[in-house]
Amino acid sequence: MSLSATFGDASPRLRAGLLVMLALSAAAILGPLASQDPNRITDPPEAGLLPPGSMRSVVRLRTGATLAGQQLRFEHDSLVLLRLGVTETVTVSNVERVDSVRFWLGTDALGRDVLARLLCGGRVTLAIGLTSLLLALGVGTCLGLAAGWRGGLLDGVLMRLVDALLAVPVLFLLIIIAALFRPSLTALVLLLALTAWTGVARLVRGQVLTLKEREFVLAARAIGASPSRIAATHLVPNLLTPLAQDAALRLADLVLAEAALSFLGLGVQPPLASWGGMVAQAEAQVFHAWWLAVLPGAAITLTVVGAAVTADGLAEMGRS
Amino acid sequence: MRQGGGADGGSGARRHNPLLAFALRRLGSGALLLLLVATATFALVSFAPGDIASRLSDPRIPPAARERWRQHFGLDRPWPERYGEWLGAAVRGDFGTSWLHHRGVGAVLGEAVPRTLLLTSVGLLLELAGGIALALSQIRRPHGTADRTITVVTLAAYAMPTFVVALGLVYLFSFRLGLFPASHLLSPEGEMATGWRRVADLLHHLVLPAVAVGVAGAGAVARYVRGSLLDERTQGYIVAARARGCSQWRATLVHALPNSLLPLITMVGLSIPFLVSGSLVVEVVFAWPGMGLAMYNAALARDVPMLMGGTVVATVAVVVGNLVADIAYAAADPRIRL
Amino acid sequence: MVGIVQDVTTFNEYQWSGDSYELQIIGLMFPSLMVEQPDYSLHPPSFAPSLASAWEFSQDNSVVTFHLRQDARWSDGTPVTAEDVRFTYLVQKDPRISSPGLEIKDFITDVEVIDRFTAKFHFSRVYPYQLMDANDGHVIPAHAWGKVPLEKWESTDFEPILVTSGPFRLASHSRGQTLVLERDPDWWGSPRPNLDRVVLRVIPDVSSQLNQLLSGDLHLLELIPPREAGRVRAHPDLELIAQPGLLWGFIGWNNRDPVFADRRVRRAMSLAINRTALVDTAYHGFAKVANGPILSSMWAYNKAIQPLPFDPEQARRLLAEAGWRDSDADGVLDRGGRALEFDLLYPSSNPIRHDIAVLAQADLARVGVACRPTQVEFTSLLARQESGDFQATVTAWSEATKIDLTSAWTTPSATQGSNNFMAYSNPEVDRLIAAAREESDHTRAKVILDRIQEILVDDQPVTFLYEAQQLTAISRRVGGADINPLSVFFNVQDWYLTP
Repeated sequence: MSLSATFGDASPRLRAGLLVMLALSAAAILGPLASQDPNRITDPPEAGLLPPGSMRSVVRLRTGATLAGQQLRFEHDSLVLLRLGVTETVTVSNVERVDSVRFWLGTDALGRDVLARLLCGGRVTLAIGLTSLLLALGVGTCLGLAAGWRGGLLDGVLMRLVDALLAVPVLFLLIIIAALFRPSLTALVLLLALTAWTGVARLVRGQVLTLKEREFVLAARAIGASPSRIAATHLVPNLLTPLAQDAALRLADLVLAEAALSFLGLGVQPPLASWGGMVAQAEAQVFHAWWLAVLPGAAITLTVVGAAVTADGLAEMGRS
Repeated sequence: MRQGGGADGGSGARRHNPLLAFALRRLGSGALLLLLVATATFALVSFAPGDIASRLSDPRIPPAARERWRQHFGLDRPWPERYGEWLGAAVRGDFGTSWLHHRGVGAVLGEAVPRTLLLTSVGLLLELAGGIALALSQIRRPHGTADRTITVVTLAAYAMPTFVVALGLVYLFSFRLGLFPASHLLSPEGEMATGWRRVADLLHHLVLPAVAVGVAGAGAVARYVRGSLLDERTQGYIVAARARGCSQWRATLVHALPNSLLPLITMVGLSIPFLVSGSLVVEVVFAWPGMGLAMYNAALARDVPMLMGGTVVATVAVVVGNLVADIAYAAADPRIRL
Repeated sequence: MVGIVQDVTTFNEYQWSGDSYELQIIGLMFPSLMVEQPDYSLHPPSFAPSLASAWEFSQDNSVVTFHLRQDARWSDGTPVTAEDVRFTYLVQKDPRISSPGLEIKDFITDVEVIDRFTAKFHFSRVYPYQLMDANDGHVIPAHAWGKVPLEKWESTDFEPILVTSGPFRLASHSRGQTLVLERDPDWWGSPRPNLDRVVLRVIPDVSSQLNQLLSGDLHLLELIPPREAGRVRAHPDLELIAQPGLLWGFIGWNNRDPVFADRRVRRAMSLAINRTALVDTAYHGFAKVANGPILSSMWAYNKAIQPLPFDPEQARRLLAEAGWRDSDADGVLDRGGRALEFDLLYPSSNPIRHDIAVLAQADLARVGVACRPTQVEFTSLLARQESGDFQATVTAWSEATKIDLTSAWTTPSATQGSNNFMAYSNPEVDRLIAAAREESDHTRAKVILDRIQEILVDDQPVTFLYEAQQLTAISRRVGGADINPLSVFFNVQDWYLTP
């Protein structure tokens, strides 16, 4: 089946899912080029915690500091700015540039543009989330297949390892890792995959245990098919539905876990934005600046919905 | 050619009672796991930067006090030595005194575990009931509007950070509507009361946190059940049942649903450790101090006896949870041998 | 109804201390010899009578005799006597009780029981804080707690054998949930409390605390986050009390680090950071820029010191003088092939310090310094500070009303341990601090302290950032409350509740 045929045959569900994912990816890749600097701090007392759609005149001084105001007018050789309810006068010679900025999705406590941070954060979050998800799926599926199919000692050892990882206070493992390694994105992806593969492995093993007693597998074994052939032709296709459904949820777990990791000093470090980090920082302000928690939360949800719908579409194709 | 999972070595016992033999074998390996996890945890805690004395960082407190604390708790000695002492006492059932609470670890856990169990088990029940109900309503007309809407809503519930869900529930049902209390196990009046009034007060307080615990999971349950139900419907036995004139609804409920719940068993088994260890976020938001909060505080304070006690409880829960899940799996699907 | 973040872990302050909120609650139930007055802005604190109705110094000032009230009783009816005072002292000094206060009693050689209601404190030296050190720690019941062997002290739960003697006593305690204190009708002090009960509710989550405050469930809440202060102030039923507190924050530079060992570099950092803007942003105006090592609200503060201005130009010049130039034109200064970059650590649980780290990073970037804000789990951060494994860290200290700069600013000794984790070392400062500590007269000590402050501001071992205000919200239904930085319950006996 060629790629075009795949798309041609794709159900509306799959198409919708893919569309969402493509749009998100495009926004994440191209968005940061078009938006303003996500780390630019704009006069927090005046321009901090602005609700979505707010507009401010921003005066950049030669010292590098910025002043924001609700109104701006020119008078002879100076600018008169309405800032914090008071008029302030700035001599033009001290001014580097003047902009009128609309913050479409508001600002955070430091007067940074939420839209720019969302776009930039999306790039980081999607890259980290998807990479670690693929890694966890790969490792988890292989080990789960092996454990479920072979059984015996291999199964025992692998599953006890999974149990041990569930029981050990992971927090401490992470605290130690944080103390030993400099935070880097590679380390972050590996760590996230490390926390996620156990769930995948258990799921796959459980499925394999059921599948290998099913008629078609028993039949294949009876005619002497090799384990790898059985795995490829019978097991993996039947695993696709539960795996795909699991994967979408796991993506959500990973995106949120990234935020938790940065709390331990392992994740994305400020001022770099990530969706998980934005949500986590919004916690203390959720009641008076709802957009700080809700917008990145909505972005995560949209991603998860997109991934889930894609997964469902793929599963549907597998069934038909 | 039978290669059933773990069939080796049990043939003698199998003749008497395969289930019992299986359980005993698993408990044996569980004990080994416990030892492994305890050792690893003790080592991890010892290697982690900082100890309980690090918290005395206030300049008002003389620095010599830190060193005195370290000596007092034996932190100046090598960890294998301290671990040996802990293990020796632990096998006799003595888990020591919490450094933070000045009470026996058993007593502190004895308070925290029931609180957490109450919250998480009710949460899990809500999660399962809600998830299955949602899946059934979705499956009535797959790919219909209701199905799609519920899919998106459940995914959103799952992807929303717990604190947003929890604070949202508090805001809506407590501050806006005034239906349920915003926090705590009991109201100050309820703490004075006894008997049914106390229980009623407790249940009233339980509603919001239990829903907060269950919301995300219900989304996951609904997804799994919906997916397996769709799969099952194409299976021969359902088609056959339908051909016999069995109604679609009856075929789904009576024939497909039990089989669709199989993957859920793994999920529930996996959540048994969670039943004991609790959700930190929900416990913090609702001032419901259970295991999550106790272990978090112990981790921050590097309260070694508490951490070890909590880890033992969590490991036992993992072992028991797996055992129960495997047995339930076998009971639900006769094709699986233990 | 009062909101608290965390339950008390013990009612016996000699098991654990360091958490001042815990001491405030213990203070409602246990007596102290005297009550420290919030007058530290004028002179070393003075004291008002409490359990001790009077006291006098000996001729040479080396002995203080305390005369106890004869009507003071423990909650089980036993009189509070000089034996209790001596027992308390013995517990404080016992190395088996790892009370962090042991060193506070360093200069008290003995507490002598003269009769049932008279105790003599013997001092090994004469200094301005004799009364403060004698008074430190609440008096505990010898007859009830003396039965616990001292080696078992640490692992004993004192709640079942709780015997109190304060305006309030424990009515019920549901762990991690609610602490109900009720008026003790037999309390001997005056005035008698008006309030029947003080209910302390444990609410760990800050958002939940605020919601319950704003919805009227709580009458008193301490430690309001500055960003929420506006909402509290706007509420018609609540009063926001904002007053100079004891907490001050700074960026600690590791003086062992080859980069920050250079005084010019440290000064350049302080000059490059717009501290006024930083304080206004992170604290929403509820803090002021800190200038030196002594709080500006203290009597010993040197009003003449010149704080460093915000002057990026001068910062660039100083860095250039120290040899830091942007030779590869990448926007970051370098010297000998090494870029001027470092991790700025801050505790991950603290949103205010997150803002500070990010703002400092932006300011420093403008003078060509690459600083990477790095979150670290709180206890790990403290451990890294203690072991010197850091370059720069955003941290804060809660200052005592007793002015002693020894542990924070003298050269750390290898054996003793020190709070000077920055490893700042200046022999002249060491000498002056020792001299100030020896000085028995506080006006003469002030002269030395003034000089120390000048040197420390000059050396900038840390970048002094802010003195935070203490924000307390109290319901307008509560009358008569005089809340001060020493204790929120300072005059709790006078409080009353209007309907």
